[in-house]
Amino acid sequence: MTRWLALPGVPPLLALLALLGLWHLAATFFGYNFFPTPGAVFKTLPALFGEAEAAANIAASVKRMLAGFALALAVAVPLGLMMGRSPLVAKLVKPLVATIYPVPKAALMPIIMLWLGIGDAAKIFVIFIGASLPLLQHSFGGALAVDQKLIWSAQAMGLGPVKRLFAVVLPSALPEVMIGCRVGIIMALIVMVSSEMIARQSGVGNLLFNSADMALYDTVYAMIVVIAAIGFVADVAFEFVRRRLTFWAEIHQDPLVPSA
Amino acid sequence: MIAIEGLSKTFETSGGEPHLALDGISIDIPKGQFLSILGPSGCGKSTLLYIVGGFVPASAGRIRVDGRAIAGPGPDRGPVFQEFALFPWKTVRGNVLYGLLQQGVPRDQAERRVSELLQMVHLSRYADFYPKELSGGMKQRVAIARTLAYDPAILLMDEPFGALDAHTRTKLQNELLSIWERDRKTVLFVTHSVEEAVYLSDRVMVMTPSPGRQKAVFDIDLPRPRIRAELLLNRRYQEYLIAIERLVQDGGEDEA
Ligand SMILES: Nc1ncnc2c1ncn2[C@@H]1O[C@H](COP(=O)(O)OP(=O)(O)O)[C@@H](O)[C@H]1O
Ligand SMILES: [Mg+2]
Repeated sequence: MTRWLALPGVPPLLALLALLGLWHLAATFFGYNFFPTPGAVFKTLPALFGEAEAAANIAASVKRMLAGFALALAVAVPLGLMMGRSPLVAKLVKPLVATIYPVPKAALMPIIMLWLGIGDAAKIFVIFIGASLPLLQHSFGGALAVDQKLIWSAQAMGLGPVKRLFAVVLPSALPEVMIGCRVGIIMALIVMVSSEMIARQSGVGNLLFNSADMALYDTVYAMIVVIAAIGFVADVAFEFVRRRLTFWAEIHQDPLVPSA
Repeated sequence: MIAIEGLSKTFETSGGEPHLALDGISIDIPKGQFLSILGPSGCGKSTLLYIVGGFVPASAGRIRVDGRAIAGPGPDRGPVFQEFALFPWKTVRGNVLYGLLQQGVPRDQAERRVSELLQMVHLSRYADFYPKELSGGMKQRVAIARTLAYDPAILLMDEPFGALDAHTRTKLQNELLSIWERDRKTVLFVTHSVEEAVYLSDRVMVMTPSPGRQKAVFDIDLPRPRIRAELLLNRRYQEYLIAIERLVQDGGEDEA
């Protein structure tokens, strides 16, 4: 009788429905105008996407998030791998990371805006910083743990250090790098929203806070749903890529967030 | 020919105490010889092999291959490790192919060579498998094929069959012997099985417990090709086993 409960997708769906139900009950019970029911929020969603301005804001956000994340991939992963293989590089980079690590990335925005203006460059840069840290951390850890005998086998085949970094260290560390990516992409989302709250110009964060200022609460909640959806889609897409890239690995860590 | 002269190795331990692992190893290994290195756990057998491979620097002494001092690893010395060390993200074929492509062998030629090698180690059917899908014996066959692929003049084998069950071990010993009899590479073969050392080798070097020194070197004068069943009744084979076993036994405590 309860077998259908165990079907994949059923438990998360139930949890989602329960959440929406609770939300609906609470919103009806309190009746505050700044606490709309889920029905009202979801009704504004199609309108939001139909609106050229809202759609442009969402597109601008996603574009910056992806640009910042891509930049972080291109810089932090090779750097982290090098740190793992060269004690000298690790010694040089670690103090820098230790300095930046505890600083909320949004707190850097005023300075970055002075340098790069309030446009895309500043936001992409701060997203890059935010996403870089987990990528650096996990690439470093992954590279440290590479089996020395794999490196030696490659050396005997005549691979030089640069080639080894990409042909041996990177694939060896890939399962770990992928964990960094998963954290990094969500960091990119968080920093993206906070950067748009600070430098309001375009984007979902900008739309969210402008709507709040104008007491358009349905839109505020709708934007939160949109941001959550961006995060969810990014995570699922990422998990899809991860499975395809690291299927050969011996150990499969089951992620906390189950995705499709 | 490999010439090892006064080779010593001292490790800096994290406790700060220097640790002497190898002490004054000197031995010449003629081209094409199968030399086994025998000794208790921790006596520096792996370290010796890693130094010859160029993976680990020596603290003193020198190693020359065909008259030239070694400078780091190179495709003239191919390692085979007890832990197989296959690239887990590559298939069996991909693993064996990789070293060949690194040497600049054209792809179609390399593919052909890989097929031959996989046939030789009886793994043609597993060409598209990933390492995690293979048994230990199969993994070690792949590792041997991967090293043979780039045709090193010297094979450095560190307890290659140590992680395998007795049956697989015997089988791989025989396969290794028939491969060796075909192309007569110089082999440095680390083991702590006396029987394995005598069965395979032209010469056996016995080492003392840590710090590793040469205790004795035996020339194994037994006919080739060697057939295990026939050797068991061979008087000289038995004498080698007994003499070497005695020498290994009175070496004091095994560190493992
Ligand atoms: N990287 C290292 N740092 C410090 N000591 C080491 C290191 N590698 C090996 N040793 C020490 O050197 C000795 C010889 O080790 P090893 O060559 O692995 O022995 P074997 O292969 O004969 O078992 C051991 O006492 C071991 O603890
Ligand atoms: Mg060893």
